[in-house]
Parts: sequence; structure tokens; C-alpha cells
Amino acid sequence: MKNDLPQRHFGKITIQLSELIEAGILTQEKAAEIQLFYKKDSDQSQNRLFAVFGVLGAILVGLGIILILAHNWDDLSTSIKTIIAFIPLIVGQGLCAYSLFKKTDSQAWNESAAAFLFFAVGASISLISQIYNIPGNIGSFILTWMLLCLPLVYIMRSSIVSLLYLIGITYYACEMGYWGYPTSTPYVYWLLLLLAIPHYYYLFKNRPASNFMVFHNWFFPLSLVIVFGTLAKDNGQLMFVVYMSLFGLLYLIGYLPFFKNKRRISNGYSILGSLGTVGLLLSLSFDWFWKELRVNDIELMSQEFFVATIISIAAIALFIWKIKNIPENKVMPMEVMFMAFILIFIIGIYSPVTAVVLINLLIFAVGVMTIRHGADENHLGILNYGLLIITALVMCRFFDTNISFVIRGMMFLLIGFGFFFVNYWMLKKRKKEAL
Amino acid sequence: MDFKKITIIGFILTCLAQLFIPAKMIMDQENVLKTGTEFKFRTRPVDPNDPFRGKYITLDFMDNTFLVNSNDGWDRNENVFIEFTTDSAGFAKIKNVTRAAPDNPNYLNTNIGYFTTTEDENKMELFFDFPFDRYYMEESKAQPAEDVYREASRDTAQITYALVNIKNGGAVLKDVVIDGKSIKDLVEENEGNKN
Repeated sequence: MKNDLPQRHFGKITIQLSELIEAGILTQEKAAEIQLFYKKDSDQSQNRLFAVFGVLGAILVGLGIILILAHNWDDLSTSIKTIIAFIPLIVGQGLCAYSLFKKTDSQAWNESAAAFLFFAVGASISLISQIYNIPGNIGSFILTWMLLCLPLVYIMRSSIVSLLYLIGITYYACEMGYWGYPTSTPYVYWLLLLLAIPHYYYLFKNRPASNFMVFHNWFFPLSLVIVFGTLAKDNGQLMFVVYMSLFGLLYLIGYLPFFKNKRRISNGYSILGSLGTVGLLLSLSFDWFWKELRVNDIELMSQEFFVATIISIAAIALFIWKIKNIPENKVMPMEVMFMAFILIFIIGIYSPVTAVVLINLLIFAVGVMTIRHGADENHLGILNYGLLIITALVMCRFFDTNISFVIRGMMFLLIGFGFFFVNYWMLKKRKKEAL
Repeated sequence: MDFKKITIIGFILTCLAQLFIPAKMIMDQENVLKTGTEFKFRTRPVDPNDPFRGKYITLDFMDNTFLVNSNDGWDRNENVFIEFTTDSAGFAKIKNVTRAAPDNPNYLNTNIGYFTTTEDENKMELFFDFPFDRYYMEESKAQPAEDVYREASRDTAQITYALVNIKNGGAVLKDVVIDGKSIKDLVEENEGNKN
């Protein structure tokens, strides 16, 4: 078994090995082999720790420099400020050069130096904007910064810069698409995102079990979920279809073979896909959305319709691929939600009441199927997630005042008993299996 | 060419780009400062801040509109060239707004902020957000600067203006002046009086 061994455990093993040799159980050669095996693991674990602290240190120092420069020291002359603007940049480049040529194999050096240079570039551009009062909106500032740092991802093989870059381009997209005035669709974001994919693929191929891969598995889908909304123009309603299909697609990606036998928390795709689907369905279980939906409002030649079509086709294609190629995987309720939603959306255009009823039934069905899934897998977390979905549904209906208090009360009682009963039943089943 | 060589060349190019962009920003600004024409823009300042670049006061310009023919089809966010001149009191005034760069170097390249219709059907009024509306202050001085401004604005006789150099589309904000004194000096004087 391959495990990461802290140094103190390694010391213990050495002592135990010598005891075993003395007792005549182990030969000297075998003991040396075992020692070597554990030593390698122990070194690796230490390296990882060194990398984590190196990167954290570099990020903190980099941010510290940005903040100190942001004070805008009046007493310094323009020329001194200009020189200061270049110092962190040159130091960062020097560190990167040193790590590139002298410490090629040290991940700790590469990541820390690259992280420092990343912030040094930001500090340098911002100080110059400050000296010359260049207003330039924050969007274009971040865009310049990210473009200047993107090569570091590939040259330094730096995953931390890749993550910082993902944060940066997401911020840029939000600035352009949501916060700035006037807003504009940040199409450049998609190109920038595309430029980050080769490194993601490199991690996927070469370091699939690394923590950086886990972080990428969260940052990528999260960035997509945040930025997709910037594609909305005048056909906002269609964005619900876009998002539902996006969550479906993410959920499907989360169930690809790569994620099998990995910790659930490391799977940002399936968690975001699932939470997003349920959250969106719950918000659509009220009638406000459907009352507003009119056939005339839906423009077929719009950007939203185009995006909705593409993303839905992509999700359906992945769904079909999965059924054909991984038949042993059962179809999860969450995987088909987006298709059901498209049908309900079309029905809702003509009959809002039917749509509201169908959505409520759909959420209920998801809840029940999730509970069953949890029971089948003997997983208390999934089981209670199913119960929470139904609880949330009941909570939402609690706000609809046209349901009588008695019925609402009964619903709560039922759910409450449900929680007790199902958890009790599961724990009992586990005990039985243990015996 | 082997992988190592490509990496080295890539690294050198990246470093050069990282040095070139800030250097280019400095050169562009210095060029406008050294050879551009100086204008005074009448203004009203306020005080926000920027997470990366620190505290600044935002300037709210007074003469930032221009009447045009509505038949010419001007649009929000459209890129235009604004030619400046000076009025009788010595402050900057928009002389003309065009879609092509004028021959005279005293012009600014920017976008139309928004527009409004006027009583005269054939005319519309364009509003511009001048791209030199941020004046960075030392962190501790941005708030006092705003206070100084507020006091000054009670006295309507005092005039606040921004000193801006303009050349071939670019502009650099040099100073904010309240009643003939730089806002930096005024803040320092005020701080001195308090102590």
C-alpha cells in the first residue's frame, strides 16, 4: 500500500525493523528494502508539505506587497516609485529562473516562485496605474495581468498559477458581464478558459490523485456556473434551461470513470451539478416564474436559445455516451432532470399550472430516488440529502399560503417521522450486516 | 529544438512581456505628460477605493456633454474622438466630437457614456465619462481630501479643477486643484492646522 509517511513514523519503523532483525525474523537485506520503500514515501510527504507552505508563503508575501504599494506613498518621487514598481517583478523573475534551471524537479520551488511572480506582475501594473492615475477599468487591468501570467502555468508547470488564473478570468468575466457599467458579454473569457485546459489535461494525465487536480475539479465547474449567466441578454427565461442543462452536464461529468473510487468531496462536478439542479428546481416550484412565461417572449434567434441548444445537446450526448459505454453505471435521477425540465418548460409556456405541478412532482421524485440511492449504497449522507430535498420542497410550499395549515402541518409531521425512521432503519441494517 | 530550449525561450519571452507592458504604460504616459497640451477640467470629487490600486478620489466633470445632430445615429458606448479647446475663463471645453481622429493633436479617444434627447428634435446631447476620472491619493489622505473638497464646495466662489495633459487620444491626470492649490498641499495644510 502506498501511503505518505511523516518523518516521526519513519523513525519508529526504523526502530521496529532493527528489533525484527535482532529477533531473527527479518534478514538485513529485506529490512533495508523495507526501509528504502518507506523512506521514499516519507520524503515525498515532506516535499508536499514544503510545497504547501512555500506556496502559501509566496501568496501572502505577494498580496502583502500589493497592499503596501496600494498605500500610495506620497513622500516618494515618481521616479523612485517607478523603480519600486519593477523590483518585485525582477525578483520574481529571478526566483523563477533559478527554480527553472537549478531546481527543475522541485515542485515546491516551481510553485512558490511562480505564485510570487504572479502577484509581482499584478503589483507592478497596479503601481504604475496609480503613479500615472490611469483609471482603466478593473476588467482590463485583470485581463492584462492574467495574460501576462498565463505562460507561467506552462513554463513553470505551475498549478497554483493555473488556479489563480481561473479566479482572475472569472473575476474579469463578472466585472464585464455583471458589475461593470455598461455591461457587455465577456466572450474573451471563453477563449481564456480554453487556454487553461491543456494544463488541466496535463494534471488529469500525470497527477490525477494530486490535491491540485481536486482543486481544479472544483474551480473549473464553479467558474463555468458563475460565468454562464453573463450570456443572458434579453431572453432571461431561457437561461433557466441553460443552467438546468449545465448542471445536468456537470453532474454527468462527475460520474465519468475518472471520478470512480475518489472521495466524494473531491468531485466538484457532481456536487455542483446536484446542488444546482435541486436549487433551481426548488426556485421554479413557485408559480411566479411560470406566470410570467409567454410564448411570445421566447426568441428563437437569440443568443440564449443558441446557448441552451448547444449545452443541452452536449449534456444529452454525454448521457447517451455514458449509457452505451459504462452500462454498469445505473442511471441516476439527477442525470435526467435537465431533459425532464426541457419538456416541462415547453409545457409551461402553454399551461403554467401544469408546469408548477410537474416541477413539484419532479422534486419529490428526485428526493425519493435519492433516498433509495442512499439506501442501496448504504450511505447515510446521500440518504439524508434525499430527505433534505423533500424537506426543502415542503418548506417552499409552506410559503404558499393557499395550502391549508392542517395539510402543511401533516406534511411536516410526515417528514419529521421520515427522518427518524429512515436513519434508524439504516443504522439498524448496518448493525445487522456487521454481525 | 528540444523541450528544454522551448521552455527557456518561452520563459525569456514571458519575462520580457512582463517587463515591456509596464514599461510601455510608463512611456505612453510620459509622452503625453511631456508633449501633450495642458487643460483644466472643472470638476467635483468623491472618494471610493480600489481593492488592488488603493484609495483614490473620483472626479465628476462638469462640462462633459456635447450637442450633436440626432440624424447622425450616435449610439451608447460608441468609440469617438473628442476635440478640446479652452473657454474664456481658461477651462477645457468640448469643441467637436467626431468618428475619425482630427488633425489637431488635442483630442481624446473615448466612448459615449449615454445620450438624451432634447427639446429640439434634430439635436441630441451626448454624455461622456472621461477616462481620467481617478486621482490616487495616499491612503490616509483620501478621506481628508474629500473633507477639504466638501468645505470648499460650500464656498461657491472656490473653483475645483483637474489638470490634465492631452495628446493624440491619450490623457494623463496630473493634479486636482482647489482654489489655486493642489489638493495634496491643501490636505497637508489642513492636517498641520489641526495639529
